[in-house]
Amino acid sequence: MRGELTPRLGFGLVSAAALVWATPFLWMSVAALRPASYGAAGMASLWPDFTPTLDNFAEAWASADFARYYLNTILLCGGILLVQIITASLAGFAFARLAFPGRTALFYAFLVQLMLVPVVLLVPNLRTVAQLGLYDTLPGVAAPYLASAFGTFLMRQTFRSIPRELEDAALMDGASPLDLIRHVYLPLAKPALVAFSIVSVTSHWNEFLWPLMVINDPDKRPLTLGLATFTRGAEGAQAWGVIAAGTILVVAPLILAFLLFQRRFVNSFLASGLK
Amino acid sequence: MRWGWLKGAGAAAFALALAGAAPARAATEIELFFPVPVDGQLARDMSTMIKEFNEKNPEIKATPVYTGSYDETLIKTRAAIRAGKPPAAVIMSANFLTDLAIEGEIQPLEAQIEADGTTPKRFMDQFWPALHGNAIVNGKVYGVPFHNSTPLLYYNADHFKEVGLDPDKPPQNWDELLAAAKKLTKREGDRVTRWGIMMPSNYDYGGWILQALTMSNGGLWFNPEYGGEVYYDTPSMLGALTFWSDLVQKAKVHPAGEQKGPGVSTAFLSGQASMMLLSTGSLTHVRQNAKFPYRVAFVPKNVRNAVPIGGASLVQPAGLDDDKRKAGWTLIKWMTSPEKSGWWSRATGYFAPNMAAYDQPEMRDFMGKNPDAKIAVDQLRFAGPWFATYKTVAVRKAIEDELQAVVSGKKSPKDALVTAQKTADELLKPYVEQTALKLPPTN
Repeated sequence: MRGELTPRLGFGLVSAAALVWATPFLWMSVAALRPASYGAAGMASLWPDFTPTLDNFAEAWASADFARYYLNTILLCGGILLVQIITASLAGFAFARLAFPGRTALFYAFLVQLMLVPVVLLVPNLRTVAQLGLYDTLPGVAAPYLASAFGTFLMRQTFRSIPRELEDAALMDGASPLDLIRHVYLPLAKPALVAFSIVSVTSHWNEFLWPLMVINDPDKRPLTLGLATFTRGAEGAQAWGVIAAGTILVVAPLILAFLLFQRRFVNSFLASGLK
Repeated sequence: MRWGWLKGAGAAAFALALAGAAPARAATEIELFFPVPVDGQLARDMSTMIKEFNEKNPEIKATPVYTGSYDETLIKTRAAIRAGKPPAAVIMSANFLTDLAIEGEIQPLEAQIEADGTTPKRFMDQFWPALHGNAIVNGKVYGVPFHNSTPLLYYNADHFKEVGLDPDKPPQNWDELLAAAKKLTKREGDRVTRWGIMMPSNYDYGGWILQALTMSNGGLWFNPEYGGEVYYDTPSMLGALTFWSDLVQKAKVHPAGEQKGPGVSTAFLSGQASMMLLSTGSLTHVRQNAKFPYRVAFVPKNVRNAVPIGGASLVQPAGLDDDKRKAGWTLIKWMTSPEKSGWWSRATGYFAPNMAAYDQPEMRDFMGKNPDAKIAVDQLRFAGPWFATYKTVAVRKAIEDELQAVVSGKKSPKDALVTAQKTADELLKPYVEQTALKLPPTN
């Protein structure tokens, strides 16, 4: 935000941006509650002009095995996040505090990973996953994400900002490097961890193409694939109400989690400098 | 210990996930990759169909695997082949077969056909002649047509009556189409409240509709005998694209900008568009959702009646072991039999590729009750192959990007076609150099 913008103008711009962002959500909610008997008429309208009904939700719920998809997605996102936190904080600590030959070169090599477009890696990754015997399994979907260049970078920057004196004090008390990470670095890096967790969970929650490549078994589908079975028709027209309801079912847990922990999340992002 | 619970939960999560990944069964296990053509109901219909197959063929256990859109199905199939996990059968967009055959990613089905004691010709003669072009590549059968479509003109009979047009006399040529669209378009000042006609221009759909107009204008779009040539910068396509552009920019009877297929049918069903060119694959959806009398007609012509086919064929990837190939072939034959072909046709609106399907009593009954489905089948005698080249998706996108620029008023049709031709020629070059331009050395 530049200095010459008056606060009032800034507020106006932010409100306008918020409205633009909120419109699809508003439309989605209205469409999901619209009775099917309205057909396509007034589908573009944003204002509810009907008696709300939950029929669309019932139909969406029946169209796909949502309970199982929720479980799969939660296992997937939770599993990835857990391993990522371990690998990213260990690697971040190594890059931030341990001296070893080639540290800088290796770190830059790590960062280059961020430049790669994921689509390029679809086939090579799938081949590796198949060789590991993980084709058509949830660990196979998780495998390429278990080490995160972004997470490592974030943890390294955070650890470097923690005063050395704290480490020295712990060392004098006889702490091992693992104790150091566990009791000194990680507690102080909590805002960064929370911020990273949000980024990680939302991106894997929403991911479509990679799980589509790995998963064949209908019982192992995550939410995005399950939703797609009734929203990505190629030649037919679409039942907007059901699609909107299905989409709400998919995003609801994320939105709920955000509303519950809103304050903490915002603080974490502010503290970690992410956005 | 704040993170303790998370670790516990995560560890349990991975243990569970791993436990779920250890199958052990006796029957030949095969996978069928399928894109969902219409909606959720059809994904369930597909499961029902495969379940019935598994009950009747206990030695085979087939799993239907949903693989996204047609384009995503291609990506997934290719990735699975390269990862050494080819599925035993795939429902593949009919115009991808040429590219897959050129790349050696699918295999000819001749051996399986002959093992059944028939000949490739006799086998293909079960299917409508219009479908042969996309299933046979370089003289060999690579695909078995599963569900197919053609573009069709849908129109709102109430709107026709309201503006003094006769619903029994749909527009048959471009003059009549334009005249009808002009009458049907309703304006309030500068704002259009009802469009005379809408045609989809999103990826995949736009190219197909443009091919329908080009063919109706005497053109071909591509060389059906050779995968290295497209005819973008030609009079037949210039006429077709200019006509579309004129409907948008000059007559203003068609909305500007990219129109997506589902948006077009939604506009038609809500009465915001009086006519649309859309796939016969949408017939069932329109029949179930139209709250007004609608009719269908052949795609209007400028030079001749001609439309491309659309839809999908069943193919088998290369690199399958014998058991899976045989099991996949059994599944393919079962799914394309007259009985199943007819059943799927009634559920979706696609026409049944197997001609014998129309001799089944249920099908006769259905055609008697739904004259619109009969018009779709009648149009088949004017149908030709769908564009299919080396790198079909990229070559198609070369013209679709230009089509979208033209309907958005950003480019003239002629400039657009010159650019599209140049891009396409560049994409086709590697194949052309290995084939048509690979000449014997002269020294």
